[in-house]
Amino acid sequence: MNPLLFFAIALKASLLSTSGFGNVPSLHHDLLAGHWATETDFGEAMAVGQISPGPNGLWVVSLGYLMDGWRGSLLALVAITIPPILVLLLENLYRQVKHHPVVEGFIRGLSLAVVGVFVVVLFGLLNRVGIDLKSVGISLGAMVLWASRRVPVVGILILGGGAGILF
Amino acid sequence: MNVENPSILRFAWIWLSLGFQSFGGGTATLTLIHRAVVEQNNWLTDEEFANDWAICQITPGINLIALTYLIGKRVCGVPGIIVAAAGLLVPAATITVLITALYAQIKHTPLVQQALRGIIPATVGLGFISAFQMAKSLINSDTAHGPGNIIIGMALLVLSGLAFTIWHPEVVVVILVAGAICALYHHLVARSENGSVTE
Repeated sequence: MNPLLFFAIALKASLLSTSGFGNVPSLHHDLLAGHWATETDFGEAMAVGQISPGPNGLWVVSLGYLMDGWRGSLLALVAITIPPILVLLLENLYRQVKHHPVVEGFIRGLSLAVVGVFVVVLFGLLNRVGIDLKSVGISLGAMVLWASRRVPVVGILILGGGAGILF
Repeated sequence: MNVENPSILRFAWIWLSLGFQSFGGGTATLTLIHRAVVEQNNWLTDEEFANDWAICQITPGINLIALTYLIGKRVCGVPGIIVAAAGLLVPAATITVLITALYAQIKHTPLVQQALRGIIPATVGLGFISAFQMAKSLINSDTAHGPGNIIIGMALLVLSGLAFTIWHPEVVVVILVAGAICALYHHLVARSENGSVTE
């Protein structure tokens, strides 16, 4: 894949999202459409993003590495550090317009749609390993463990891996 | 608050240690940043931290990186932005790549393949939690404007997912259309509320 194209796709996905995994739907759509990445790459990179230090959003750096080695990871890192610079402008602007109904509504609509599409992408990831009793059980188990607040994310993923081997 | 501005070297050192320590993704990182910035060094009050975090929620891109920029600017100006971002991201991204590289070496072994059949569903489960939390806060903030806003919020959530499943459009199209519909709805509600106040 052309490195500049990957950079542009990663930059676009980051510009149009507002959280660590908010860029998943856009990247998933663009990279799968071009057959540059696989569902497996996405699942693996997202798992690494939840274990490694720093924001979850660094999962893109992992994806970049899986696709194109160190160059891919560096391009991904640069792409995700550019859009948040806008916070410096928004800080002033937001305080003036945050209660404007149109701005409030637009941001809310945008965020709701990101969540809606994200859920579809998650089902796609689960489908990749097969939606059966085992995979659904492990997903639900991970959710219960997270809700208990007694097991850190790293521990949940390790337990998930153990369940994958055992069952 | 800004009790006392630290030297740029000390500021860089603190972010560097955050970059090495914050294993466990975004939640762990946010907790450690809060502890360092508010509790240990008193550079920001809890309220200032919460306000900054709120602004980061609507900033394009990864909100923890935006938060790092904002805190960097508040505490040490433009050099603060650079050292905070580099301090957090260079070690964290390097460790991320090393974990991925190690994984890439062993990913084809049968044991790892079996483990993945558990790790990916667990990741999906945690993803559903993130989606639920995001949706809950968005729907809850709708309650301030009555049941109509809850209905439109839930409808946009479901319909955007359905539209994406059925027509496979560009994601940007789905989210911009949803944003425009919700903006129009909020505008109409505000107009009718203002109208009823002036009557």
